[in-house]
Amino acid sequence: MKFNKALALGAVSGASLLLLAACGSKSSDKSLASDQTLNWVETANLPTMDPSKSTDIVSGGTLNNVDEGLLRLGEGSKLRPGVAKSYSVSKDGKTWTFNLRHSKWSNGDPVTANDFVYGWRRTVKPSTASQYAYLYDHVKNFSAVNKGKLAPSKLGIKADGKYKVVVTLSRPQTYFKYLVGAQAFFPQNQKVAEKYGSKYASNSSSAVYNGPFKLTGWNGTNNTWTLKKNKQYWNAKATKLAAIKFQVIKDQGTWLSQYQSGKVDEIITDGTQYKQLKNSKEMHLRNGASTFYLEMNQRKGFFKNNVAARKAISLAINKEQLVKNVLADGSQAPKGLVPTKLAKRGNTDFADAAYVKSGTAYNLKQAKAEWRQALKKSGRSSLSLELLADDTPAGKQTAEFIQSQLTKLPGLKVTTTNVPFNVRLSRSTKGDFDLVIGGWSADFPDAISFSSLFTSNNSYNRGQWQNSAYDTAIKNAEGKDADNSAARWDDLVSAEKTLMSQQGIVPLYQQTQAQLLKSKVKGVQYFPTGAQWDFSHAYISNSK
Amino acid sequence: MAKYLIKRIFYLLLTLFIVITVTFFMMKLLPGTPLTNQQKLSPAQQHLILKQYGLTKPVWQQYLIYVAGVFHGNFGTSFQFSDQPVSYLISSRIGPSLLLGAQAMILGVIPGILVGALGAIKKNTWVDSTTTIVSILGISIPSFVLAVLLQYYIGLKLGWLPIADWGGFAYTILPTIALAASPFADTARFIRTEMVDVLNSDYIELAKAKGLSKWGVIYHHALRNSLIPVVTIIGPLAVNIMTGSMVIENIFSVPGIGEQFVKSILTNDYPTIMAVTIVYSLMLMVVLLITDIVYGIIDPRIRITNTSK
Repeated sequence: MKFNKALALGAVSGASLLLLAACGSKSSDKSLASDQTLNWVETANLPTMDPSKSTDIVSGGTLNNVDEGLLRLGEGSKLRPGVAKSYSVSKDGKTWTFNLRHSKWSNGDPVTANDFVYGWRRTVKPSTASQYAYLYDHVKNFSAVNKGKLAPSKLGIKADGKYKVVVTLSRPQTYFKYLVGAQAFFPQNQKVAEKYGSKYASNSSSAVYNGPFKLTGWNGTNNTWTLKKNKQYWNAKATKLAAIKFQVIKDQGTWLSQYQSGKVDEIITDGTQYKQLKNSKEMHLRNGASTFYLEMNQRKGFFKNNVAARKAISLAINKEQLVKNVLADGSQAPKGLVPTKLAKRGNTDFADAAYVKSGTAYNLKQAKAEWRQALKKSGRSSLSLELLADDTPAGKQTAEFIQSQLTKLPGLKVTTTNVPFNVRLSRSTKGDFDLVIGGWSADFPDAISFSSLFTSNNSYNRGQWQNSAYDTAIKNAEGKDADNSAARWDDLVSAEKTLMSQQGIVPLYQQTQAQLLKSKVKGVQYFPTGAQWDFSHAYISNSK
Repeated sequence: MAKYLIKRIFYLLLTLFIVITVTFFMMKLLPGTPLTNQQKLSPAQQHLILKQYGLTKPVWQQYLIYVAGVFHGNFGTSFQFSDQPVSYLISSRIGPSLLLGAQAMILGVIPGILVGALGAIKKNTWVDSTTTIVSILGISIPSFVLAVLLQYYIGLKLGWLPIADWGGFAYTILPTIALAASPFADTARFIRTEMVDVLNSDYIELAKAKGLSKWGVIYHHALRNSLIPVVTIIGPLAVNIMTGSMVIENIFSVPGIGEQFVKSILTNDYPTIMAVTIVYSLMLMVVLLITDIVYGIIDPRIRITNTSK
């Protein structure tokens, strides 16, 4: 019945339907080890379990395994049903209707439409001070509610009965479907949140869970906690792991010792460890959704309106060598700003579709020629530039490498300054640099999460590169083509091509994590964006 | 004695107040915000959130609010642990740090005294050379190197003790040894030098001439007089252990406050920076106060001067 209703409501071109994916286990039970306990390492503490306040990967990843939003990311970053068993979108792309299944919180309460309404309003209202509220950007009245000018009840979400959520957007947003799977959009149990007040979700017993697992043994600040199978979860029969024991280990040497002694089942390796162990069968490269790039200050002076200078800088840096010999941690040379495997249309990867060879190529001879031309254009014979970067190991290595590459350009002297993250961020936002190494990681699998950065006067556009064709393409993708996926894709591809052919920035590398994972551990799903890991289908196998 | 103590405690609180004030204003000079997601927030969005935390007010107002809070026992809420009061963050994590610190102090100082004394008594023999070499190694090997060596050989290769983690006495042994090495070496060197001096002094000759046994002389006269300078270095040793614990806690995954301190500074977690600074300076000042009291107990001359005031 619900299915038909959804179909009737969304009997329009933009209607999308999700059906229950076949989640049944393919592996027979005898391949399962008797002890279904996974030992996982985190590199930082679990700071909160409040979906409205989570900003880091530890809490994000934990929340994704203990809670569930309307939809869920599945294998290959494809969406699968979450609490919503189906949804439909109106013709104008502004009204999204989600039909919820009958499911329960870990305390037995039903998960209802009101839990979503409450959770969303709580995330957006100003007193929560959520640092991810900006993801609600397209939801009707977000801005006014977030600034405290309108009551939270005016936010574009309402419950239609107990099991239907209706969301109103201020303008169409095709990737809204990915957002509703993110932590900031999770349902929250009003009764529990109000009962615990400021202590809500600050330890494992002051929260309830509606996902495959529930959290235990976390006192709010300790270094260990355990996820246990949540028997109330609607798809609990598919959950094979009985427990996942987490341990915080911050020292890289200790990770490896703990892994080798069999105390933990996985670790992320650093450059040195990756070099030693890269041929191991247990090594897996996890393609991240983050790109590191060099920005050139174009507010005034040398790089402004000087394409030749920007091209020279890019052509002089050998990105292949940077990832293979300098970082050597599994990271990859970039194809552009948008990382590979982030967004796809059909079988085409966005990064391939928008690939501009000259934008990331290395050619020292051509670089020198472009540089001479750039110097001539600005009437100089020599130039000295400051390269600003993080004081992390990767930041220092990258900066030194780039310095050594750029000094091959005639008349160029480069000095490096490595500073703590906070300093780098505040100096680059103020424009207090010549060259700066920065990075970005996507919150959701759509190219716009990167492309929107480099519009004119955007505060994330630290170098203030400006191009009207780029601005128009992004404006169309967010505006007139927002609900036309083919036209929108073309807009974003053309924007990326403009950025790369004008060398607005110099992409340096696409971050990849090199993970050692014991071969007995199967079925762990990895996502480049948002929460990194999903354990709902993982299991410990008998065979090695 | 009571009058002296009251005076000392008054000065202690005054110093603490100065520490709070100086740290507060210096901390506000740090660039950046405590927002963990600041990279993805536009300046306008940051402003909206910071306003919720009262961080857009003038710094002197924030200072007054903070000091008033401290007087009421309110140290604020951490930014790294977004829902935890800093007082809880510290109280839930200080146990392991204190335990390790105390164990390292005991394991460092007592064997240090014994080994140093042994070196002095057996001066210029192989015993002396061995103890000197051991203490020089203890000083020159940084604690984090020792930690990694212990972890690799005793934890991983031999499998005798846990590599990392926390959960009982066995887990404290390796970090304690790593932390204790430097105080052990310092104490041993100090005691040896002092005792060699003392053993050559006239009153030892006199004691010997009076016919006291060799060990009687060493225990009652030599050791007791050599201990005074050791008490002096206990303050610096305590600081040594506190700073060492920042690294050691990281390596052994000890849920303490040492590494929280470093992280709080790097992330502009203002309430945590302040609270951990207060805890550290308070601990140091208490150690110094105790040292001064202990002075009086082992050296009567100091006791008399103090009580006569």
